[in-house]
Amino acid sequence: MPAFTRARVILYGFVSLWSLLVLLPLLWMVLASFKSRRELFMDPLGLPGEWSGEAFGRAWGVGMGQFLVNSLLATAASVVVIIAVSGMAAYVLARSDAGWTRAIYLLIVAGFAVPVQAVLVPLYQMISGAGMLNNLAAIVLPYAAYGIPFTTVLFFAFFLDFPRELEEAARLDGCSRIRTFFSVILPLSGPAIASAAIFQAVFIWNEFVLALLMLTSPGNKTLPVGIIQLRGEFTADWPAVMAGLSIAVLPILLIFVLAQKYFVRSLAGLGK
Amino acid sequence: MAELEIANLVKDYGAWRALKDVSFTALSGEFVVMVGPSGCGKSTLLRAIAGLEPVTSGRIAINGRDITGDEPSDRGVAMVFQNYALYPHMTARQNMGFALRIAGRPQAEIDAAVARAARILRIEAQLDKKPKALSGGQKQRVAIGRAITRAPDVFLFDEPLSNLDAALRSQMRVELGRLHAELGATMVYVTHDQTEAMTMASRIVVLNEGRIEQVGPPLDLYNRPVNRFVAGFLGSPRMNFVAAEVAAAAGAAVSLRVPGLVGTLAVTGVEARLSPGETVTLGLRPEAFSDDPGAGLALDGRIAVIESLGRETLLYLEVAGLRAFDSESHEGHFAVHRTRQIAARQGDPLRLGVDPRAVYLFDASDRAIAWPTVHA
Repeated sequence: MPAFTRARVILYGFVSLWSLLVLLPLLWMVLASFKSRRELFMDPLGLPGEWSGEAFGRAWGVGMGQFLVNSLLATAASVVVIIAVSGMAAYVLARSDAGWTRAIYLLIVAGFAVPVQAVLVPLYQMISGAGMLNNLAAIVLPYAAYGIPFTTVLFFAFFLDFPRELEEAARLDGCSRIRTFFSVILPLSGPAIASAAIFQAVFIWNEFVLALLMLTSPGNKTLPVGIIQLRGEFTADWPAVMAGLSIAVLPILLIFVLAQKYFVRSLAGLGK
Repeated sequence: MAELEIANLVKDYGAWRALKDVSFTALSGEFVVMVGPSGCGKSTLLRAIAGLEPVTSGRIAINGRDITGDEPSDRGVAMVFQNYALYPHMTARQNMGFALRIAGRPQAEIDAAVARAARILRIEAQLDKKPKALSGGQKQRVAIGRAITRAPDVFLFDEPLSNLDAALRSQMRVELGRLHAELGATMVYVTHDQTEAMTMASRIVVLNEGRIEQVGPPLDLYNRPVNRFVAGFLGSPRMNFVAAEVAAAAGAAVSLRVPGLVGTLAVTGVEARLSPGETVTLGLRPEAFSDDPGAGLALDGRIAVIESLGRETLLYLEVAGLRAFDSESHEGHFAVHRTRQIAARQGDPLRLGVDPRAVYLFDASDRAIAWPTVHA
């Protein structure tokens, strides 16, 4: 076997194994949500004996609809704030030669290095002090704060490559800086915005720790936290938990499949 | 109709001075071409006029109005960029009307201006296409159309044809000439291509290392360059330069000897006092050689390269013991232009004469001191 073909076989083998490792638990989750509670423990790895959608009904019964709406609102609001703030910040940083803007850029990049666990307690105190607990803003603001550094770096690289002539043409056409940004640069930043939005949406949709801490009343919970309600102190409705998770995963999986090109690009863009 | 005046313009980038006290005036309705090698400051000068590059000192005025510190859009100038700089997300129509829309003009006025520009440029059928769907030439027309709709006092062109292929380039040269005649507007055009400069300009501004070397109508510059730089820059292939020694001098008439060549060259009309033994530079245009050496200087060599273009022939002549410096060929061959077909092959011997009435002379500081009295 030629060396090239052998390398391909090994690579494909590795990637297939890796995909199985990731996909099998997902498959198990979906299969488990169709099983009865008894069957789940008697035959955890088998196919459901009788395909029953009851678990989905039970999961929906604890308020999945509300959680779904909360998650959608939190994700949409955070993504909008992140894109708006980092887009404008990155444009200014990419176009300025002043030394202090370089320093600000470095500070923003340094924001990457702060783990959320390290600031949980002061963050809780701040949100609580501001009277925002159990409010969507309690998670939207920290999500935005954590999303902005990554997105700013992403946009920064994009704007550095943005053709200057277009901005100069806009200046000659009478556009102010702001107008140039909104009329010329923003409409042409579609790929960068899509990349950033999808990356942040996936992260925020799945975020658990902050949401658990900040949202305690049932009406405000997001999906990851809400699903936990199906697990009682002594017993747990595992098929319903799995059904809930399946519902939760579905929208983001759909977006990911439709727009995975942008998702990959957002990560590749970081190398610039 | 507008007059553009540039006075004592200086532009520094840190310690590097890109423009060194540049002054000139583009008269109303003139087509001024700024030409020079890469890095000579021609694009910087154009961008300074457009307001895209702040100047260190000096003054720019249009019709007497000082615009040195004005925003680009308030200057009454429109610019056509080398790579078109069309907004990719807008149609040709939107691109052309964008400036008027930003200025808040009524839709009817925008439509009329766009329609007029499209008619002049013959791009009516392309108006609803986006730049991606247009060819290079069409994009360039839309870019020019965008400038026309603004009805500026002065049009600025930054090497607008350099992204087009040769055929389209010569077609667009003619188009731009027609456009200039039709609009009668003042136009400033930057190029590194001396053919564009020679064919299109009312006046050429030759720039070198941030300074203006010479300003004048194309043929004036071609026939009476002030120095060796201008003489070498205009004309393709370039002028051949060789070192010559003054054998005898009597007022405006000098007799020259070229080391490596047989015979002497009697040049008249020299505008400098030369004395025997002094070294000067002899400039020979490729078209200045005669077939018959007669009694004057003879150039004996072999054909190193022959380029037959059909109605004309370019030869590169290798002369033993003599190198043309600063020439088109790096080997020091003499460029020779003949206006007919020549049945010759590489390596063939060729004997040419130098007509003393068709030569240029430059002194030791490269200043021109004698010009041809006859032109091929």
